[in-house]
Amino acid sequence: MAGIYLVDVNKVPVYTQYFDISYIPSTVFFFNGQHMKVDYGSPDHTKFVGSFKTKQDFIDLIEVIYRGAMRGKMIVRSPIDPRNVPKYDLLYQGI
Amino acid sequence: MGAFYCSVCKQTFFAGKSHIFGKKHQDKLKIVLTKFLDKVKEARRMLKAPAVEKYDVTEHELNLWCYCCGAEVQKHITNGNLTVLCGGLLEHMASPEHRKQTDRFWWENKADSKLKEKFLFSEEEMDRFKTEVAKALESYEEKEDEFIKQQASYIREVEQRRQEVMQSTLEPESESESPQGPPQCGPPGHIESSGNRDNYRRGGAGKRAGPSGADEFEDSDWAGGGLDLTFIGYQDSSSGGNVHTGATPPWLKQDPEEGGSGTQEPQAGPSHEEFLKHKEQEKLRKLPASRVGANFDHASQTDAGWLPSFGRVWNSGRRWQSRHQFRAEEGQGTNHKRKKHEPWKGSKKHKPADS
Repeated sequence: MAGIYLVDVNKVPVYTQYFDISYIPSTVFFFNGQHMKVDYGSPDHTKFVGSFKTKQDFIDLIEVIYRGAMRGKMIVRSPIDPRNVPKYDLLYQGI
Repeated sequence: MGAFYCSVCKQTFFAGKSHIFGKKHQDKLKIVLTKFLDKVKEARRMLKAPAVEKYDVTEHELNLWCYCCGAEVQKHITNGNLTVLCGGLLEHMASPEHRKQTDRFWWENKADSKLKEKFLFSEEEMDRFKTEVAKALESYEEKEDEFIKQQASYIREVEQRRQEVMQSTLEPESESESPQGPPQCGPPGHIESSGNRDNYRRGGAGKRAGPSGADEFEDSDWAGGGLDLTFIGYQDSSSGGNVHTGATPPWLKQDPEEGGSGTQEPQAGPSHEEFLKHKEQEKLRKLPASRVGANFDHASQTDAGWLPSFGRVWNSGRRWQSRHQFRAEEGQGTNHKRKKHEPWKGSKKHKPADS
């Protein structure tokens, strides 16, 4: 069963800096203490930026991550339709 | 006398109940009573200041074992929504059945009668407790109501702001078509992060500002996610790395609090002395190369007069003694290798060839 934790970005500056979180909500996935990367079709594979359109999207994503992780993969491809993935601009320090 | 099971010692005794006066039983009884007393003390504290909390299935479904009655008792009382902490235990301990069982327990186990009163609660105490609980419930309900009102006003506020912003974006779009900077229109439907006013900038909404024109509302893409994004400022990762540069994750870094300077480099494996000792031990396990018989060539042919180079079975002398004895037993007169002294033959310069 997946554990979901809601974290206030102000309370964890170390992790906010490490994961380079510029937009919230951002969802980071872990399996067995290992950070899982997912190709959402967006420029940043390390986290899911934005909110999920439907609950089913979220559930499917978790399942794909779980299956990939159980097979030893460290990066998986997201099953969410790219139209349902929020778009944002990934700029490096405003450039 | 039949078999009697003592639940304190968790043993069956066949010789009657005399073990109760023994040291072991009394020790175990003391431990059991101390443990139980801790829980009862907690309940007594609750008696004076009852705590009412929202019912949480994970925490409030606890059962306690009452040693006196030999039965499980629910620790807290709940009505589905709210819980009175330790209510169940207090009610049980004030009941007459518990009193009877406590008396019986004390009598059977010969426990210290001074302690008995601590495990009993009187009816007056229970009545007081009930009034206190009623008061606590009232105050809790008041707090809940207040909280709900606060939430409602906050939601109204946010909704209001959202409406305003929607209006403001609709109007400029219908007027202009030339691209304008994103910050001027402001993000549509933007929600603030709670308590984070310092960091946020009105640059979020995925930068899909008004200038894209009427396309924005005809997009089949999930713009809803973009509308909810809050920009919290670029993270400066020049001091340490970040996930994109492949730096060590914070949870794998060495904790600065952990240990002293001595444990900074925990050496794995044995030290040099231990290794040398181990090597010596391994050498000793093999037979020594200089032992007697180590170089013995098992393939060589030996004649009948061969003797090993240590004494025979019952001898404790040198090799030549055992050889002497062997020769004597075999009755061998001559040996070409050695000249034997045979005084009865007389000393002859020339020995016959066949002698």
